[in-house]
Amino acid sequence: MSALRKNAGILCVLVAVCAAAAIFGDNFLTGYNLTNLTQRSALFGILALGAGLVIATGGIDLSIGSVVCLAGIATPWLLVERGWSPWTAVPTVLAGCAGIGLAHGLLVTRLRLQPFLVTLCGLLLYRGIARWMTGDQSQGFQGEFGALRDVALARFDVPGLAGYRLPATVIPLAMLAVAMAFALHRTVWGRWLLATGRNEAAARYSGVPTARLVTLAYVACSTLAGFGGMLFIFDIGSAQPSDFGNFYELYAIAAAVLGGCSLRGGEVSVTGILLGAATLQVLRTAIILVGLSSQLEFAVIGAVLLVGVAADELVRRWAERRRNRAARGG
Amino acid sequence: MKQAISRAAALLATMALGAAVPAPGGDLVAQQRERIAARKANPKPKCHVAFVSNGVADFWTIAKAGALAAGRKIGCQVTVEFPGGGLGDQKRMLEDLVTKGIDGVSVSPIDPVNQAEVLQLVAERSFLVTNDSDAPKAPRLCYIGMDNYLAGRMCGELAREGLPKGGKVAIFIGRLEQDNAKRRRQGFIDGLLGRPSDATRYDEPSKPIVEAGYEIVGTWTDSFDRAKAKANIEDVMIKHPDLALVTGLFEYNSTLAVEVFRQAGRSGQIKIAAFDEGADVINGIREGTVLGTVVQDPYMYGYESVRVLEALNRGDASVIPADGMLSIPARVIRRDTVDAFWKDLKDKLEAGRSGKARG
Repeated sequence: MSALRKNAGILCVLVAVCAAAAIFGDNFLTGYNLTNLTQRSALFGILALGAGLVIATGGIDLSIGSVVCLAGIATPWLLVERGWSPWTAVPTVLAGCAGIGLAHGLLVTRLRLQPFLVTLCGLLLYRGIARWMTGDQSQGFQGEFGALRDVALARFDVPGLAGYRLPATVIPLAMLAVAMAFALHRTVWGRWLLATGRNEAAARYSGVPTARLVTLAYVACSTLAGFGGMLFIFDIGSAQPSDFGNFYELYAIAAAVLGGCSLRGGEVSVTGILLGAATLQVLRTAIILVGLSSQLEFAVIGAVLLVGVAADELVRRWAERRRNRAARGG
Repeated sequence: MKQAISRAAALLATMALGAAVPAPGGDLVAQQRERIAARKANPKPKCHVAFVSNGVADFWTIAKAGALAAGRKIGCQVTVEFPGGGLGDQKRMLEDLVTKGIDGVSVSPIDPVNQAEVLQLVAERSFLVTNDSDAPKAPRLCYIGMDNYLAGRMCGELAREGLPKGGKVAIFIGRLEQDNAKRRRQGFIDGLLGRPSDATRYDEPSKPIVEAGYEIVGTWTDSFDRAKAKANIEDVMIKHPDLALVTGLFEYNSTLAVEVFRQAGRSGQIKIAAFDEGADVINGIREGTVLGTVVQDPYMYGYESVRVLEALNRGDASVIPADGMLSIPARVIRRDTVDAFWKDLKDKLEAGRSGKARG
């Protein structure tokens, strides 16, 4: 099944949701709204890219939201409470998140623990650490570190698009997406990673260093979650360790699955993941702009996800049947 | 003999009080009062009481400072618990405190109606008072806090003052399940629209209200997800480009409104009537982009909770007000009072933080 068709599917869903929001909602197609949507899609997109990588290996990472919390809380905590400079705080936090990913990878590949279990424990552990470390106090930049926060808050004018201002978060997202697409589809390591996801035993017997690849996927996922957490806190300004990033892993996983990643592993589409992340954010906004009760938010997202995934599966079967028939005919 | 007489007298007094004020929760309130009377003859030498918040926030750190200060002054042991995981977490903490044999609990119930059982459990085994958000139907001995309806009204009147000619108004609040949130929101609406006071009135959150020149376009909740709370304000601003005023009825809602308008370059254009004392709100008041803020006195919630619970353990029922409400009124902070208020607050917060280890 081609990645193109997969992307066409999710693109149709995104376009349909946007069209519905534009028709039934107020001011959907304004520069300010599109700027906001780009920002939110970029933030969740970064998390979803990491989730997609782990899903491609046939694993799962449930700790994304807690890593978002730990990194997002640790950054202002180190800067404001501990007086670190951004040049030491940011690399330290990212290295810490990479370390978390390394631990997940090693536990999954060396100790052969279930990814679900390892990352579920991580989900509890990292939030607990964030709460303990800060004494449950909300952490914020207290009006300082404006230049650092501009990594997420800066906006650029786009010629020809009045009112729309491209958020700076799109730059790291684009760089990460291009790097990931290149690595997955143009390097032998990427092919090996997908082969590992499809059939780990077969890949291992063919000489693929599966353990190293799986570990690398977890390292990338946690690092991206940490980086995303930092951007989230730059965007919001302050956060509470007890609830910051709650359920964000589910948004990331949903975006990846909606974007064509199979939870069985071996399938990933970077473009699809980005479209999936955008679809979820457009849906959330559409609910307000259309004037639906915000209590319906989860129900609407759940329903659209289910319809999207079911339609995808039906199209896949239909295509397969056609292919088989054509093969028999030929 | 003397003991029996005093017990009978206390029982009579309880019955008399019970007749005067039909106490909700019925028997359990009477049972607690019996136990208070029993304590009079047999006071607990060094009691251990607990203060349980409804979540985690700087607001509660200040309350903690008050609770610990009272504990030190009176000489009783104080445990402070902040449930970070919502309703389930709070229930577990209350159950554990009861298991531990706690002598009194002051709690801010997250969802009083659906927490009836655990609140009854506390009342059966210990003394129950509520703080910050009341549970009027639970067997609590009293409520310590402000009247959220009146505080909401103060915020509504502040908004009315800043927007005398009317306009579009949006309300943002963490969640609406808890009693204080509902009352605060209703108070805001009634204050803004200049309606007569009636705390039992209830306007459906899903319906816009057009009245007295104002249009309240809606109430948006976020379940404490700040990214969602921020998105709500941005989205409502898009849906209603002519929005004239917003109110954030929980601390971070107001703080995020300041942040969103700053980022959108609309600071001062859309007015903010705030609640609580987020740092950005305080700066906004100084700069003139926030009309003012309604603040509670969480320090006194903590302090009074411990004082009342300790007195009950000595058999002193006189600390329970006749109407069951120990009122700690809210205040409106404007530009002229903001600096003095902020300094006092910082000192109390510091006291709460340094008391962390002892908590």
